Amino acid sequence: MVDATTIVRATLLGLQLGMTLALVAAGLTLIFGMLDVINFAHGALYMLGAYFGVVAASELGSFWAALVVAPLLVAIVGGAIEILSLRPLYGRNPLYHILLTFGFAIMIEGIVVEVWGGQSYRIPVPEALSGTLSYGSLSYPVYWMFVLVVSTILIGGIWLAIAKSDLGILIRASAHDTEMVDALGVDVSKVFTGVVVFGAALAGVAGVLLGASRSVNPGMGFGVIIQAFVIVVIGGLGSFKGAVYGALLIGLMTAYGALIAPSLTDLFIFALMAVVLIAKPSGLFGATEAA
Amino acid sequence: MRELISRFAGTDGTAGNQILTTGGRYALAVIVVLLALLGPVVAILEPFWLFILVQILVFALLALSLDFVFGYAGLLSFGHAAMFGAGGYAAALLIAEVTPNALVVLPLAMLTGVVVAAVIGWFAVRARGIYFAMLTLAFAQMFYVIAFADVPAMITGAETVTGGDNGIYGVQLFELFGVVDFTDRINYYFMALALVALSLVALVRLANSPFGRALQGIRENEERMAFIGYDVRRYKVVGFAISGGFAGLAGGLYVPFQSLAHPQLLHWTVSGELVVMLLLGGMGTLWGPMLGAAAVIVLEEMLAGVAAWEVILGGVFVVVVIFAPRGLAGIVVSLKEDPRNALSNAKQALLTYVKKVRGER
Repeated sequence: MVDATTIVRATLLGLQLGMTLALVAAGLTLIFGMLDVINFAHGALYMLGAYFGVVAASELGSFWAALVVAPLLVAIVGGAIEILSLRPLYGRNPLYHILLTFGFAIMIEGIVVEVWGGQSYRIPVPEALSGTLSYGSLSYPVYWMFVLVVSTILIGGIWLAIAKSDLGILIRASAHDTEMVDALGVDVSKVFTGVVVFGAALAGVAGVLLGASRSVNPGMGFGVIIQAFVIVVIGGLGSFKGAVYGALLIGLMTAYGALIAPSLTDLFIFALMAVVLIAKPSGLFGATEAA
Repeated sequence: MRELISRFAGTDGTAGNQILTTGGRYALAVIVVLLALLGPVVAILEPFWLFILVQILVFALLALSLDFVFGYAGLLSFGHAAMFGAGGYAAALLIAEVTPNALVVLPLAMLTGVVVAAVIGWFAVRARGIYFAMLTLAFAQMFYVIAFADVPAMITGAETVTGGDNGIYGVQLFELFGVVDFTDRINYYFMALALVALSLVALVRLANSPFGRALQGIRENEERMAFIGYDVRRYKVVGFAISGGFAGLAGGLYVPFQSLAHPQLLHWTVSGELVVMLLLGGMGTLWGPMLGAAAVIVLEEMLAGVAAWEVILGGVFVVVVIFAPRGLAGIVVSLKEDPRNALSNAKQALLTYVKKVRGER
C-alpha cells in the first residue's frame, strides 16, 4: 500500500510539475486570449529555452546566467515570429495562424536536431541547489523545491500584474475589445507583440528550469505542447486562472497516476479533458462561446 | 467561432467550393490512366519508387478523407490518425487471426474506421471549432495510449493484442481468393490506385449530393441550417463517420504493405502531417489535398539525404500559409485563370506582406 510519505512526495512533485506546466500554459492562454492564435510553436519555444539554457550554462559557466539569458533569446525568437509571420496574417481566418505556428514547430524541431543532434543534454544543477531536503522519512531534492518556489512566485506575480496593474488592464482590455483600444490611441499591434514576447520568455524559463531536472532532447517540445493544450482546454482557452488551475490538476494527476498506473496516466488525462469538454464545452473557466 | 467557420468557408475566397468541373473530371481520368501506366514502368526501372507511389496513394486517400470533413463540413479534425490507425490495426489482426482475403479485410478496416469515427464524432460534435479540434485530438491520443500500453490485453487478460510499443509486426500481404497475389508489388499498386480512384469518385458524388450540400450549409451557417430543420449534430456525426471510413480504409491498405501495425500510426503527429498535406494542397477541392500528400511525400523522399529536411518542409509550409493560403490547388487555379499577371501578382503579394510587417494598414 502507498504510505503517507509517498503521497506527500507525490503531491510536492505534482505541484512542482503543475507550476512549471503553468508557465508554459500561461503563455499559450495569454497569446490565445489576445491574438486568437493557438500557438502550436509554443512547445518548440519551450524546447529552445532548454537548449539555449544548455549552451548558456556551459558558455557562461553559470546556471543563473542561463536562467536569464536563455529566456531572453527565446523572447527574441518569439518576437520575430510574431512580427514576420503572425502580424501579416491578422484579419485572415485564425485557422491559418494555427497552421502557420505548426509549420514553425516543425521547423524549430528540425533546426534543433540539425544543430544539437539527436542526443540528450542536461543543464547542470548549481552547487547551492544540489542535495536533498529531508523531514522524517520524507526526502525531496532541493532543486525540485527551488523549481516549485520560483514557478509559484512567477505565476503569482503575473496573476497580480494582470489583475491589478495598468498594463494588465490594458492587456485585458485589448483582448476584450481590440478595436476600441485601438481607437483610443493605443498601438495594439505593440501590445500583441509584447504578449507573444512575454509568453515566449515564460516558455523559455520553464525550459531552463525543467532542463536541469529532466533531459533536454528534440522530442520535448511536442511532448509538452500536447500537455499544455490539454491544460488550457480544460481551464478554458484564454483564461489565465483556468490555465493555472488546469496545470495544477494535470500535474497532480500525473504524479498520483505514476503511483497507480504509470502507463495509463496519459489516458486518464485525455479522458479528463474529454469529460470536461463534454460537460462544459468551453472549459472550466472559459467564456460561454469561445471565439 | 461562427466567425471562424464562416471565414474559413471562403467568403474571403480562401477556400473554394470547386468540386470538379467536367474538364476537371477528364483531367482526373487522364491522371489515373497515366498513374496506371506509370506503375509498371517504375516497377521495371526504379522498383523503390513503386514503394513511394503506394505510400503517396495511401496518404492521398487519407488527405481526401480529411478534406471531406475539414474542407467541406468545416469540422477541424485533428484526430484522423485514430481512424487511420484503427483501420490498420483491424487489418493486422484480421489477417493474422481470420483471413488475408482483401475482400474481407479492407471492408472491415473501413467499417472499423466508421465505428471509431462515429464514437469520436458523437462526443466531439458537442463542441465547436477549436474545441472540436482539441476533442478529436484528445480522443485520438487516447487510442494511441490504448495501443501503446496494450490496454485490450490488460482487460481481456490475453498476453498481447496490440503488441504494445512493438506493434504487430510481420503482417502478411493480402490475397484475393488465392487468385491474385499481392506480394507482387505491382498488383498491390494497382489495387491501391483503383481504391483511391473509387474513393475519390464516391466522395465527389457525396459532396455533390443533398447530403454534401447540407454539410456545406452547416459549414457556412450552422444556426440557419438548424433553424430550417436540419439535425445538424446528426449530419456532422454521419459526415465524420464517412470520412473515418475512408481513413480506416487507408490504414487497412497501409499496414499490410508495411507489414507493421505500430502505435505511431495513431500518434497525433500523423494527424498534424495530414493537416500540412491538406493545406499545402488546398482545402475544399478534394483533388488539392491529394496533390499535397504527393508533394509532401516526394519532398520528404527527395530531402531524405539532406539532414535538414524538416526545416525545409516546415519552411515551405510557412511560406505557403503566408503567400498561398489556397495551397497548390489555389496556385494552379489562379495560374490557369490569369497566367499573364502571375508575376505582378506575386510582386504585389510581397509588397503587401512587407507593408503589413511594418504595421501599416
